[in-house]
Amino acid sequence: MKKIIALLLALIMLVALGATAYADNDVSELPREETLYFAGQQWGTVLSWNIMGTNQNNSMAIAGGPSGYRTLMFETLFMYNFMNGDIIGLLGDSYEWNDDLTEVSVVLKDAAKWCDGTPVTAEDVVKTWDVSVEIGNTAGTTYGAYIDSIEATGEKTFIIHSKLDAEGRPVNPLKVTDFLTGSPIAQAAWIDKLVERNGGDAVSILNDPGEDVVWSGPYTKYYSDDQKVVLIRDDNYWGQDASMWGKLPVPKYIAHTIYADNPAGELALKAGEVDVCQQFIGNVQDLWLKDGLPISTYYEEAPYGVCLTMPTAWYNMNLPVLAENAALRKAIAIAVDYDTIIANAMTNQSPSFADVPRSLMNPTDGEQALYNHDAVADLQWAGNDIEGAIAMLDEAGLVDTDGDGWREYNGEKISLNAVCPNGWTDWQASMEVVAAAGDKIGVEITTLYPEWDIYQTVFTNPNQTEYAIFMWSPEAASPSNPWTRVNQFLGKDYVGVENNWSGNWGQYVNEEADALIKQIPLTTDEEALKDLYTQLTEIYLTEVPSFSLMYRPSLFHAVNESVWTNFPAGDDGREIPPADCTDGYGIAALYELELVG
Amino acid sequence: MKNTLRQVFHSSKFLVGFIIFALILLTVWLYPLLINPGNPLEMIGVGTFAKPGTYVSLYDAVNTRTETLRLPDADDKRVAYLLSDADRVAMIEWFGIMDIDVSELDATDTDALLDLWFENYDPAIKPKGMTQARRNFFKRLDKSIRQIRSADTLKVMHPEEDELVERSSITKTDYVNVGDVANVKLLPLGTDNFGRDVLKELVSATGTSIVIGLIAGVVATLIGLTLGLLAGYVGGLVDDVIMFITNIFTVIPSFVLLILISYSIGQEQRGASVVALVIGFTSWTWTARSVRSQVISLRNRDHVNLSKLSGHSLVRIIVTDILPYIASYVVMAFILQVSSGILSEAQLSLLGLGPKTTVTPTLGLMMNWAMLYSAHTNGSWWAYFPVILTITLISFSLNLMNTGLDQVFNPTLRD
Repeated sequence: MKKIIALLLALIMLVALGATAYADNDVSELPREETLYFAGQQWGTVLSWNIMGTNQNNSMAIAGGPSGYRTLMFETLFMYNFMNGDIIGLLGDSYEWNDDLTEVSVVLKDAAKWCDGTPVTAEDVVKTWDVSVEIGNTAGTTYGAYIDSIEATGEKTFIIHSKLDAEGRPVNPLKVTDFLTGSPIAQAAWIDKLVERNGGDAVSILNDPGEDVVWSGPYTKYYSDDQKVVLIRDDNYWGQDASMWGKLPVPKYIAHTIYADNPAGELALKAGEVDVCQQFIGNVQDLWLKDGLPISTYYEEAPYGVCLTMPTAWYNMNLPVLAENAALRKAIAIAVDYDTIIANAMTNQSPSFADVPRSLMNPTDGEQALYNHDAVADLQWAGNDIEGAIAMLDEAGLVDTDGDGWREYNGEKISLNAVCPNGWTDWQASMEVVAAAGDKIGVEITTLYPEWDIYQTVFTNPNQTEYAIFMWSPEAASPSNPWTRVNQFLGKDYVGVENNWSGNWGQYVNEEADALIKQIPLTTDEEALKDLYTQLTEIYLTEVPSFSLMYRPSLFHAVNESVWTNFPAGDDGREIPPADCTDGYGIAALYELELVG
Repeated sequence: MKNTLRQVFHSSKFLVGFIIFALILLTVWLYPLLINPGNPLEMIGVGTFAKPGTYVSLYDAVNTRTETLRLPDADDKRVAYLLSDADRVAMIEWFGIMDIDVSELDATDTDALLDLWFENYDPAIKPKGMTQARRNFFKRLDKSIRQIRSADTLKVMHPEEDELVERSSITKTDYVNVGDVANVKLLPLGTDNFGRDVLKELVSATGTSIVIGLIAGVVATLIGLTLGLLAGYVGGLVDDVIMFITNIFTVIPSFVLLILISYSIGQEQRGASVVALVIGFTSWTWTARSVRSQVISLRNRDHVNLSKLSGHSLVRIIVTDILPYIASYVVMAFILQVSSGILSEAQLSLLGLGPKTTVTPTLGLMMNWAMLYSAHTNGSWWAYFPVILTITLISFSLNLMNTGLDQVFNPTLRD
């Protein structure tokens, strides 16, 4: 009897296995020469294809990357190119601001069509916006404070009205430009269907799986489970029209195996199973220098990629010892050995702070030109200045009074922790270096690596006092940067905001800086702009509410050329950004890929 | 006692184990004292995983007095370093791409090869179908080849008021004696991912790990011994209760318990000694069980009954009449507990649940960081292999001592 039951069970399992394997398109054998494999973007199973929803966990199809929206399946109006700041038409053909920056009129491309053949119209844009605001999805909450309304003025034309402040000036035209490049458009007819089947309930609309979604991009869903995600090219894609790309993208399939962790993805890249790898790879040059693999990065020499952001250690201003002692904040910051961080944690995939002195800007030429370097040269520091830090603390009266080797403030030993999520190796290494600096200047700093789910609830809580020094990265590149990033560093918009993913995680308040930040979006005169940014940099470097530890690409871009070649490279003169062939104008690379040999 | 010790040291197994362990202890004590003092966690290297070897300061070497040595194979070695056989094949591949007739060319004739290369290589050329990686390879090759053809003398320039002043010139036949160079650093085991001297860290970590093992061993043995003695000697309800608790602890895998406790304590509280205590508290069960069974076989012996009749107290009977008979066994159990305590720390740290970092190095933490930085896949064996070897040596020596003791004290094993 037992045997029969066991046999039956085994049989059931076999049948079940077979059933799942044949339930969908067969992807066990995708033709290698037609498939572009990715790593480092999709973690875990895809939850939904609903472009109007939230928590889709669908990185290949729905992802507002830090350097442009991923337009494989859903498209934005325009594409951003962070290499030169260009804004290039996609669904949109052109846009024009009025003189006082209160509204921008946009013309859609004639050729732009949905996958069902119907044209993309102004009504689609208006419907996408109205419903986004109503249900509060990412687009609605991100741009709701800056866009008042979108009004269709014809089948292919519409006007975006900025929100106005009390004096009738637009709140932030920069953010409206961000909307043009950063927010995907959905089809009005499909949105109607979506709203209707969920009875207009915001929460259920946001969580609708959206299996029947209508797309406009060059790829669409083909297969997805807990092992891999595959997109297939839509050969009727409107973009093959001469007014857009003039052709279809080269790979027929876009596939992303879901790896357990970074090392697994790295091994797959080495084995040639992955073509484009968006993962940090320590000592990436060893892959070609030592192992002789056909792998390359955007630049052949360090820093190998384009650094657009700077992972930063934030001081928690809820702790009096940090809030009341700018000298302590600055002393720790100047004592930290950044060269070690950059060489260890980033394995030199970042310019040093001697090459690109610290400021509020990322290391791109465009942003670096936005402030007066000489005016703040005296305030900057390259790090590892132990004597300077000790002198600064002694002068501020933060001394060791009880002879235990640690300094005290108000009679209590200064004891801080340096925190980042567990498993984020390069950040953990940075925190170790920060702690080592504390040791040298008599300030006790111990490292702490909580699990990610704990970390994210604590550091986004505006009242937390558990973490003293903790890490997070500000924004990378978009049309509204560096303003957005400056606002994250010094602005008070986000102070006290619950569940704060937006900025100013240290809760630093400076009225003077905030007033300057508010002026920037409406300033068009370049000299005035430069002056504002210089003043803000001065405040930042004097007050040190946070300090950046390294520069870092927002997307890593290592490619294995075993199968595909002609990926964007720094010296090819094409100015296609190294955005994994997927984000913003980076997708242009997909149209120019070639097979090896 | 003296006799017992003599007997113990007569056992060759015990002796070997003891010598290894003593040498490890001696190294832990003397190495930082005499050879390499200083903070074991100091990050001397900027960069990850410098390989083992002797590092000579290039800056100081330039300033050191030179001798001229005319070594016959110096040029060949230099060329071989800059241009491998595979590179020669690659050069011929490039000539093939450029449609140059190489049938006459001898690949071992460096001069001819180089001449042809300089005539035909241009980094700006992008041959059709060649990958970026391959083009980059040729650029690097070109750079390397150019060094072969560089002049016989290199000049070291020194910036002085906007102009470069020559400070010294180096020719191909200049040699310096390593002993004369001001700064030479021997890193027998290279550096780890933080640029720390691995050997120095390893020695310090071994010390910490042994302390963790000792604390864990003492705690586990004390708890196990006390409970085992009570359960075995008192018997009855006390025995039932203690065995009930012990059995519960036995059926829960102690490592799972260890993980759960370490996790819930939180990293902030997890110092080396706390981790040691936690290990001790989760690994006492088998000591308790075996002590109990030994005691049960002892408790009805005549001398124990005599003591009972004389009205001695429970504590006195246990301490004077029972403990001495199982002392040898307890010592052996203790040694095994120490060994497994060290292993448990390594396992815990490997999972990221060990002592908090920055404060003290432990063997487990060293492995944890090596693994986080993929030392095992990028070929940096020196960051983890010596650690594994040390752990193996420690537990090998402890186990050897244990087996030796067993042979001495266990009548069935006695020769």
